Amino acid sequence: MALTGIQIFKLTPKKNCKKCGSPTCMAFSMKVASGAVTIDKCPEMSDEALAQLSEATAPPMKTIKVGAGDAELTLGGETVLFRHEKTLVSKNLFAVTVTAANADEKLAAIPAVDYERIGERMYVEMVNVKFTGEAPEAYAALAQKAAGLGRTLILECACPDAAKAALAVTKDAKPILNGANPENWEAMNAVATEAGVTLGVTGDTIDALYDTLAALEKAGNKNLVFDCGSVSVKDAFSKAVQLRRAALKDENRTAGYPSIVNLAELAPGDLTLQAALAAVFTLKYGSIIIMEDMTYAQALALYPLRQNIYTDPQKPMKVAPGIYPLNGADENSVCVTTVDFALTYFVVSGELERSGVPCNLLISDAGGMSVLTAWAAGKLSAGTIAKFIAEEGIEDKIKNRTLIIPGKVAILKGELDAKLPDWNVVVGTREAVQIVKFMKDYA
Amino acid sequence: MPFNGKSGKFKAAIKEVEIGCGEKAIKLGGENVLPFYTFDGEIANAPKVGVMISDKGLQDEVEGVAAYYAGCETIADIAKKAAEMPGADFVALSLESADPNGDDASVESCCETVKAVVEAIDAPLAIIGTGNDEKDNELLVKAAEVAEGKNVLIMSAKEGTYKSVAMSGIQAYHHKVAAESAVDINLAKQLNVLISQLGIPVEDTVMHTGTATAGYGYEYVASTLDRIKAAALAQNDNMLQVPIVTPVASETYGVKETLSSEADAPEWGSRDARAINMEVVTAAADLASGSNAVILKHPASVATIKKMIDELM
Amino acid sequence: MTLISRVFSGADQWYDQATEAVNNAIAKYGEDQAVDFGHTAYSLPCIYAMLGDKIGTLGEAKAILEGKIKDLMTRQPRVKDVFTSGVASALCCELIEVCKYIEGNPYEAPIIGHLTDAEIREIGLPLVVDDIPGVAVIIGAAPSEEEAKALVKGYQGKGIMVFMVGGIIDQCVAQNLEMNFKIRIIPCGYDLSSVIHVVSVALRAALIFGAIQPGDWDGMWEYTMKRVHAFVNAFEPVDDQTVACGAGAIQLGFPVITNQEENIWNIPKSLIIQKDTTKFDPTSLEARDIKIKIVQMDIPVSYAPAFEGEIIRRKQTQVDFNGADVNENAFELVRTLPLSEVEDHKIEVIGPEIDEMEEGSMQSLACVVEVAGKNMQTDFEPVFERKFHNFINCLEGIMHTGQRDLIRIRVSKDAFAAGFRAKHFGEVLYAKVKSEYAGVVDKCQVKIITDHDLVKQHRADWAQAAYAKRDERLESLTDESVDVYYSCVLCQAFSPSHVCVVTPERLGLCGAVSWLDAKATNELDPTGACQIIGKGGCIDEEIGAYEEINEAVNKYSRGALERVTLYSIMQDPMTSCGCFECICGIEPFSNGVVIVNREHVGYTPLGMTFADLASMTGGGVQTPGFMGHGKSFIASKKFMKAEGGIQRIVWLPKDLKDQLRDKIDKSAKELYGIDNFTDMIADETVCEEDPEALMAFLTEKGHPVLGLEPLM
Repeated sequence: MALTGIQIFKLTPKKNCKKCGSPTCMAFSMKVASGAVTIDKCPEMSDEALAQLSEATAPPMKTIKVGAGDAELTLGGETVLFRHEKTLVSKNLFAVTVTAANADEKLAAIPAVDYERIGERMYVEMVNVKFTGEAPEAYAALAQKAAGLGRTLILECACPDAAKAALAVTKDAKPILNGANPENWEAMNAVATEAGVTLGVTGDTIDALYDTLAALEKAGNKNLVFDCGSVSVKDAFSKAVQLRRAALKDENRTAGYPSIVNLAELAPGDLTLQAALAAVFTLKYGSIIIMEDMTYAQALALYPLRQNIYTDPQKPMKVAPGIYPLNGADENSVCVTTVDFALTYFVVSGELERSGVPCNLLISDAGGMSVLTAWAAGKLSAGTIAKFIAEEGIEDKIKNRTLIIPGKVAILKGELDAKLPDWNVVVGTREAVQIVKFMKDYA
Repeated sequence: MPFNGKSGKFKAAIKEVEIGCGEKAIKLGGENVLPFYTFDGEIANAPKVGVMISDKGLQDEVEGVAAYYAGCETIADIAKKAAEMPGADFVALSLESADPNGDDASVESCCETVKAVVEAIDAPLAIIGTGNDEKDNELLVKAAEVAEGKNVLIMSAKEGTYKSVAMSGIQAYHHKVAAESAVDINLAKQLNVLISQLGIPVEDTVMHTGTATAGYGYEYVASTLDRIKAAALAQNDNMLQVPIVTPVASETYGVKETLSSEADAPEWGSRDARAINMEVVTAAADLASGSNAVILKHPASVATIKKMIDELM
Repeated sequence: MTLISRVFSGADQWYDQATEAVNNAIAKYGEDQAVDFGHTAYSLPCIYAMLGDKIGTLGEAKAILEGKIKDLMTRQPRVKDVFTSGVASALCCELIEVCKYIEGNPYEAPIIGHLTDAEIREIGLPLVVDDIPGVAVIIGAAPSEEEAKALVKGYQGKGIMVFMVGGIIDQCVAQNLEMNFKIRIIPCGYDLSSVIHVVSVALRAALIFGAIQPGDWDGMWEYTMKRVHAFVNAFEPVDDQTVACGAGAIQLGFPVITNQEENIWNIPKSLIIQKDTTKFDPTSLEARDIKIKIVQMDIPVSYAPAFEGEIIRRKQTQVDFNGADVNENAFELVRTLPLSEVEDHKIEVIGPEIDEMEEGSMQSLACVVEVAGKNMQTDFEPVFERKFHNFINCLEGIMHTGQRDLIRIRVSKDAFAAGFRAKHFGEVLYAKVKSEYAGVVDKCQVKIITDHDLVKQHRADWAQAAYAKRDERLESLTDESVDVYYSCVLCQAFSPSHVCVVTPERLGLCGAVSWLDAKATNELDPTGACQIIGKGGCIDEEIGAYEEINEAVNKYSRGALERVTLYSIMQDPMTSCGCFECICGIEPFSNGVVIVNREHVGYTPLGMTFADLASMTGGGVQTPGFMGHGKSFIASKKFMKAEGGIQRIVWLPKDLKDQLRDKIDKSAKELYGIDNFTDMIADETVCEEDPEALMAFLTEKGHPVLGLEPLM
C-alpha cells in the first residue's frame, strides 16, 4: 500500500532544512506521497528510514529512463490502470522502424512531422533500428546513421555481436537494446549491462516472457522493458494488458516494466490498421509503439489522442493567452472572447471557423478552467477581461470595438460596459453549437 | 515459475440487445469482461461497425466516400451500397436534413426517405435524428412508425425527448432506442433510470454516452466509457449494463484536421487520408474503452476497424 | 339505499341491456356474424385488455357475457365486488356498442365513437408522457349551454383532452363549439354506453405503450391510474347505470366529480360532490393531481439570461423600488399556504401600477409568491426565493439586486415604454416558480404589493416574521436534529470518485450546496445528483462514522471509497473534488491546522500554497490530514470535531479570518469558553512559510492548541 503524506512525514527529520528543495518537511512528504519526488531527495533521512520508505514508496511499475541529455525520455511509473483513478504519468512514445534497406528514405521523412499542440511538441520520439542479418559493422553503421537524427534509438537486435557493435557507437545516447529472449537472455544481458542500457525482453508466450523477466531480475538487471512480440495482435494485446494489470493490481513487480508494441511487425504494410491499433495501445498499456511510418495524417489523430489521455485530470490543458485571428480576420474584425481551457478553445474556435465570419478570438488567462468554473473561481470577470485588453494592448492592435462574450457569463455585461466604455459588449451564445448561427446572423 | 495473472472476468454482464431482423440481425453486448479482454473470458458478440449515410446525399463528402458511392442517384441506392460495404454490420441513416437550423426538411419527406431505405436494404438500420429536441420529438416518432417491423435502432432519446422517442420507438413500434446523454456517467445512468421508470425495459435500450474526436476533449469520453464498464461489470449496476453505440463520423468530419483542404494545409497531405486516420483512431479508442458499436463513414475506415476487431477477438 | 346497492342495480341493468343487444343481433345476423369496431388489432379492445379474450363473433360475445363478465358481477357488499361489477358494466357497454357497428360505423359527425389504433397511437403517446396533461370525460347535460361551452373551453385551454357523452354534446353544438379529433374534443355518443370508447383509449394505451399483457387486470389499472390522467364529470341526474360505470372508472383510477348530492356519497379522491358546477374544472384537476405546464409568459419585454448582467443607471430609471431606502420598503417572500387558499395563476397588484407612479421616483414593493402543494415544505421557501434574483434579472430593462427585505429593483424607462408594469413581475414569478419547481408546487398565486403602507405592514408581519423563523430553523438544524443527510455528486464529471456527504452543519465543500439545497434538489429531481443517506448503523458517533454513510459513499463513488467519517480529518476524511472553497491541512509543529481559501495566493506555514495543496488533496481521493471544505464549515461546531474542533485552527488568511471572525468567536466561546479566539489565530502578516514564527506567535497568544494531544 502507498504511504500517506502523514506517514512519510513521521519518518522525516522534521527540521525544515529545505535541502530537498521543499520549504517544509510536510510539503516534501506530500510530494513524495503523490509520487512527484522520490524519497532520496532528502539528504537528512536516516538510512533506516530510507530503507523503510524506499520499499514502501517504490511504485509497483518501474520508471525507466532512456535517451540522454535533451533526448531523455521517461517510461512507466504508472500507479493506476485507468486515468480516472488518478492520473497517468508517462505518455506512450512513438517510434518509426528502419532497416538497412530503407534507412535513408525513412530517416529523411521522420522529421517532417514536428509541430506543437497546446504546449506539447508532437514528433517521433524514437527510431527503431531493426537488425536484418547484416554484418555487425554494417548494423553499427546503420545505428550510427539513425542516431544522427537525434532521436533515442531502439536497437531491435537479438544477435549479441551485432548488438555489441551497435552499442559501441551509440551507447552514450542510452538507446534500448531490444533483443533478449528465453534463449539468449544471458548473453544479451551481458551486452546491455556492459553498455549500461535498458534491455528489451520478449518471449512467444506470456509465461516465457515472464520467466525471462524473472530470470533477468534474478541476475540483477531491473533496467528492463518487455516487447509484446509479433505472434499476433491478440497475443500482443493480451501481454500488454495482463502484465500491466498484474503489476498495478496485484503488485507483481516482475510484471511492472514498460512495454514495446511493434505494430510494424504486427500489421505490416497496413498503415491505417497500424493507426487504429496505435490508438488501442495508447489506451491500453503500450509504452513504446513502433510504427512503420508516421505520416502527417496519422500524427494529426494519434498525438492529440495521446495528449488527451495523458492529461492530468487535475491540471486542465491550457492554451496561451493572446489574439487568435480566425477566418482571415484583421484589425477591423469583431472580437470574441472566451477562456483558455483547451477544450473550450478548440470547440469555440472550431465553431467560429465553421461560421466563416472573420473575427479575433481573444483568450485571456482564466487558469485553464471552463467558462462557468472560471467565473465562479473569479478567474473570469469583467476585471480580468478589461485587464487583459489593457495589458495586451488590444486597443492598439484592433480597431473594431465590438466584444462578444460567452452567453454563460452574460452577467458580466453591465460591469464590462462600465470598465470598457469605448466598447460595445454583446452577449453571445450559451452553447458552442449555437455559435455558427449566431455569428452568421451577427455578420 | 509461469505467469500467474488473475482473471478479470466479472459475475455481471452487459445485456444483449438485438437489432434488425432475419439472418442479418446483429447482437450488441453480452460480454462479462472488459473490451477485447478475450484472455479473461469469451466475448459473446464482437463489436459492430455501422456505416453512416445522410439524407442530404453525398454533398461535401471526402474523395474516398464520394468515389465509393459514385453512380448512386437515390437514397435507396446509397443505402444499398452502404449495406454492401465490406466490413459493415449495419447502416445508420442520418436525417440531418430535418435540422431546423439547417434545411428544416419536413417530417413527411424524411419519413419518405426512411421508407425508401427500409425497403431497399435488409441489413439492420439505425435512424439518427437531428439532435434538436423539438424536431426529434416528432421526427423520430414518425420514423419509428414508418419503420415498424424492422427492429431498427432509433438514435437518440435524450433528456428532452426520451419520453416520446423511447415510448413510441420501443413500446408502440417495438424497435430499440439509444439513450443519449452528455459525456458523464451519472447523466447516462439517470437517463436510463428515467426511461425504466416509464415502464420500458432497459433490455430494449442501448446507450450513446457522448462522443468526441481524438484531441477534442476525448479524455472525458474515454474515462466515461471506462467508468461505465467498471460500474456495470464490477459494481453490478444494472442501470448501466447496457451496450454502448458511439457515432464517430458525425464528430470526426467536423474538425479542422479533416475539414482543411489540401490547399489550406499543404504539409498535411491528402484530406482523404486525414479523414480516414481521424476516424479510425477515434473509433479504435472508443472500442478499446468500451463501445459495443461504432458508426463510421469512409469505406477504408470501415474495412480497417472491422479488420482490427477481427484481429483482437 | 347505499352506493353499493346502486352499483349492483346499475350493473344488473347493464347486463340485461347487453344480453338483449347481443340476443337481438344474433337473432338478426346469427352467431357466426363477425363483430368488430374496425381499425384495431385488439378487438374487442376493453374485453381483450381486461380479460385476455379476443372476441370475433356474436357467438363469442354471448359466451363471454354469460361467462367471464357475469362472473365479475359478484354480490358481496365489499369494495372489491363494487369495482369488479363496475368494470363488468363497462364491458357490457362494449358489447352493446359493438352490436351497433355490425352494419358499419353507426355514427356521423360530430359523433366519433370508436377511435382507431392509429388515432390511439397519435394521442396515446402525448397522453402517457403527460404532454396531454389530462382527459376529461363529461357525461350528461350542464345546467346551461353557456356553462357547457365554458367548461369544455376551459379544459381545452389547458391542453386537456375532452370526451363527451350525452346531453352536453347538443349543448356544445348549439353554442357552435368546434368538435373533432384534431382539436381533441371528442363527442363519443348520446347513449351512456358510448363511454366505453374512452375506456378503450385508456386500455389500448396501456396495451401499446405500457406493454401490459392482455388479461393482466392489476397491470391494467395500475397503468391507467399512473399514466392516463383521466377524470369524469357527471352532471345530475346520475342514475344507477352511470353510478355503475363510475365504479368502473374509479377502478381504473379515474375520479368522478358530480353535482348530484342525493344518493351519492363522497369518497375522498374518488367520488367528489361539487355542487358548484362552475368549479368542476379546478376540483377535477386537484382530484387527479393534474399540473398544467407553463408554456409562455405574457410579458412585453424580452426574457433571457443575456439580460442578467444589465445595469440600469439612475437617469435611465423609470421607477426605483428600494428596500434599503429610509422611507420606502421592498421585500420578496415565498409563503406556503394550504391548497384551498391558493388559486392557481391568480396575479394581483395591490396598490398603484407603475404608470401611476412619478417618473424617477422611489417606491415600495413586495413580491409575495404564495404556493401550495402536497409535497411542498416550508424548507423550500428560501431555496425558491433565492432564485428570484435570477428570475427577475433575466427581464430586459429590469435590474434586481439584494435579497429578502433588502432588495432593490429598477425598472428602466425603455421597459416602461414597452409596456412593462408591476403585474408582469407576477407573471414572471408565477411562470418560473411553477415550471422550475413543478415537482412540489401544485398551485401558485402572486401578490405584487405597491401600496406604501401595506408593504410596510407586511414587511413586519409576513416577511420579517418568516425570515426570523427561517433563521431560527437554520440555527436549530444540527446534524443530530435531522433524520437524513444527502449525497452530492455534482462534481463527479471532474472528480469521478468524489462524493460529498451534506449535513446541516457541513455544507458541500464547494460552499454552494447546503443541506436544505440538497434536500430540495432531491425532492425536485429524485433521480438527480443529491440522494438521501440514512444515518443507520452508528459505528462511532464522536468521529461521525455510520454504516449507512459508508454504504452510500461506496455506492456513489462506485466502489472507489469504502468509508468516510463526518468529523475527522485524520481518519477516513471526506474526499475533496476540485472545487472546494478552502483546504485545511495539519501543521505538525503546533499540532494544529492551517486553512487556506482559494482566493489566497501566497504560501502557508506548511510551505505550500492553495494550489500546491489542491493538487495533492483533490481529485476525489482521501488524504488523511488534509481536506477540502466550504468556508462556512470553518465556524461549525462539527469542524474536525473528532480532533478537538476549531481550537486546532492556527493559521488563516487575513481576509478569511476577518470574514468569519464573529462566527468563529461565537463557536469558540460556546465550545471552550474562550473570548476573541480569532485573535489567537495567525495569518500571513504573522508568518508565511515559517513554522517557527508561527510557533512563537501561538506561544505568545497562549493558543489552546499547544495544550492538546498530538494529532499524529
